Amino acid sequence: MDKLRDTLKADADQIQVTISDELDARISASLQGVEPELPARQRQPRKPFSFWLASSLTGIAATILVIVVANLKGPEAPVTVASKPATNLTTPVVTEQAFVPLLKTESAVLTAPLREELENLESDLKKAERAVREEMGLSF
Amino acid sequence: MSDELDLIDAAKAGSVVAFTELVHDYRERLLRFLLTRCASFADAEDALQDTLINAYRYLHSYDSRWRFSTWLYRIAIRNAANLQADAGESPDELQDTEADPLLLCIALSERENLWVSARRVLRKEVYAAMWLRYVEDMSINDVAAVLDRSVSWTKVNLLRARKQLDAELARTEKESKAYG
Repeated sequence: MDKLRDTLKADADQIQVTISDELDARISASLQGVEPELPARQRQPRKPFSFWLASSLTGIAATILVIVVANLKGPEAPVTVASKPATNLTTPVVTEQAFVPLLKTESAVLTAPLREELENLESDLKKAERAVREEMGLSF
Repeated sequence: MSDELDLIDAAKAGSVVAFTELVHDYRERLLRFLLTRCASFADAEDALQDTLINAYRYLHSYDSRWRFSTWLYRIAIRNAANLQADAGESPDELQDTEADPLLLCIALSERENLWVSARRVLRKEVYAAMWLRYVEDMSINDVAAVLDRSVSWTKVNLLRARKQLDAELARTEKESKAYG
């Protein structure tokens, strides 16, 4: 009938191939190690409405819990500090009752006038500040 | 056919055994086809292995409106093309005759095998179209689908290829008679 068609069929049959045992084993081993891809809709299943509802309620409950716990603790008592006039240049006195260790000390006797004492203190402060800066510069 | 669909369903569900049974009869046919497109027998075997692995991996994308063989050949052609691209060969590059895997697998006969002649005179894509049409008995639509070409392109090129191969067949028969 169709000579060309018959010849093409017959000549294709003349091509002799066999799947070797080695290739067969190779293919089988490869297939065992293959993880079939899942369709996109299976890979990322749509989350049901109940999931969103549950997660929203959980979030709201957690927020309320945090607010309640924070309010139960109550505000901390503020530390009242009474500051002295700046001209005194002394540390502020804490009026709150605090534990003060009993120390055997004597009050310093100021031999120089107050003005001179103030200048000395300022000078010491500058020196100390410079020393700290130098030390920081070295260490960093 | 229903057996094939059952096997496909089972393989889609993850059964390697079902998939192995499904492709068992296609393996030699695919290897024979790949031999005509690869530079060596080893390449053809690698292409076959890759084809089956990819088919199993992406079986979920198989649409049962197509013939399974159509889908399988489509993957095989892509894998063979990828192998050629990796090896840096052009699609229509002539092969070294001594190492030609097709020639090594053809039994001796009085005249030249028409598929060897076909490879000489046809472009690879047209050669594949002829193979799918006349060896695999695929419809024109299926051939077009495998090659990712239009039906009209497939029809025209099959017709031209037939004319060329008719002429080749006449020539080789004449030669074999002359040497006969």
